[in-house]
Amino acid sequence: MRAGDEELVAAAQQGNQQAFEELVERHKQKAYHIAFDFCRDREDAKDLSQEAFLKAFVNLKKFDGRSSFYTWFYRILVNLCLDYKRRLKRSPADSFDETLENQMEPSHEPNRPRSPDQQVLAGQISRKVDAALQALPAKQRTAFLLKNHQGLSIKEIAELMQTAEGTVKVHLHRAVTALRHSLAEFV
Amino acid sequence: MAGHGQLLSPCKNLEEDLVLFHYGELPAPEHFSLEQHLSGCANCTAYLKDLSALMPLTIKADDPPETFWLDYNRELRHKIDSTRDKSWWPVNFGAFFQPRLLTAFGAIAVIAVALTLTLGKGVWQDRDLPREDEALMEVLPMAEDFDFFKTMDVLDNLDVLEFMASPEGAA
Repeated sequence: MRAGDEELVAAAQQGNQQAFEELVERHKQKAYHIAFDFCRDREDAKDLSQEAFLKAFVNLKKFDGRSSFYTWFYRILVNLCLDYKRRLKRSPADSFDETLENQMEPSHEPNRPRSPDQQVLAGQISRKVDAALQALPAKQRTAFLLKNHQGLSIKEIAELMQTAEGTVKVHLHRAVTALRHSLAEFV
Repeated sequence: MAGHGQLLSPCKNLEEDLVLFHYGELPAPEHFSLEQHLSGCANCTAYLKDLSALMPLTIKADDPPETFWLDYNRELRHKIDSTRDKSWWPVNFGAFFQPRLLTAFGAIAVIAVALTLTLGKGVWQDRDLPREDEALMEVLPMAEDFDFFKTMDVLDNLDVLEFMASPEGAA
């Protein structure tokens, strides 16, 4: 029978590294995709999600089980992603334009043939979307990415962001309204 | 995508509900009444249609290859190992400085000093000498010095000679 996260956490807290590796195995893909949603760069997403696992490993003994491991871990990850965004804003050398260039690399796109016109349009949309997402305030962007990209429930997002469900709804609504206006030309 | 960029405004008081409706987060009673509203409101229906068209555009798919995940695991294991190697010394050493332990160490130190002073009192006192004895001990080496007494004899003799030289002595 497959052990639950709680059992694995308990074993990992006793020093069982295999148990922690199992937790990583379970959550690494989702963690990576959340990080990718925030930074839109494969290497940075890898570093951010690994850093989150590392932090979780170091602080595992402090985890008291009041929330689920899932919530606790993704809170660490989201905070790291927000810190990453703040760092990015402070250092113009790693500007968002650079990240945009990276995301235009074919390796980041699903492998499907496109005509030159389609490629140009996809590039335009991608640039516009990234700029629109970047323009959102951090909390609105977080609520939006966790809902729209990761499909988390409002309740889960509220737990992750340590805020009320009503506040998440407001953030989400504002983010969606802003994005709709920014991307109006593609309607 | 048409690209005409004309946005119809939905009913202001329902905008938030429409977003929740789009994401399937609107509770049952509100969901039902909004559905009824949508059947007669072109603007709100168009708003939902916009969300369905635009929101998926914001999602960027990324599916790294299998080798990426192999590297991912290897790198993470390496990072964890190096963190553990680095952290054991400061963690153990830092344990001594935890507030609770510091108090315990302080209490032990005070008790040790108190016991040492109390139990060691007799031992130290035996080694200490009274003041008179101390003076004697200082004088003793001088008393043992024979030359001292010789000098004292000479001084006595000088007194006798002086007395003999005086008129009283002569008489």
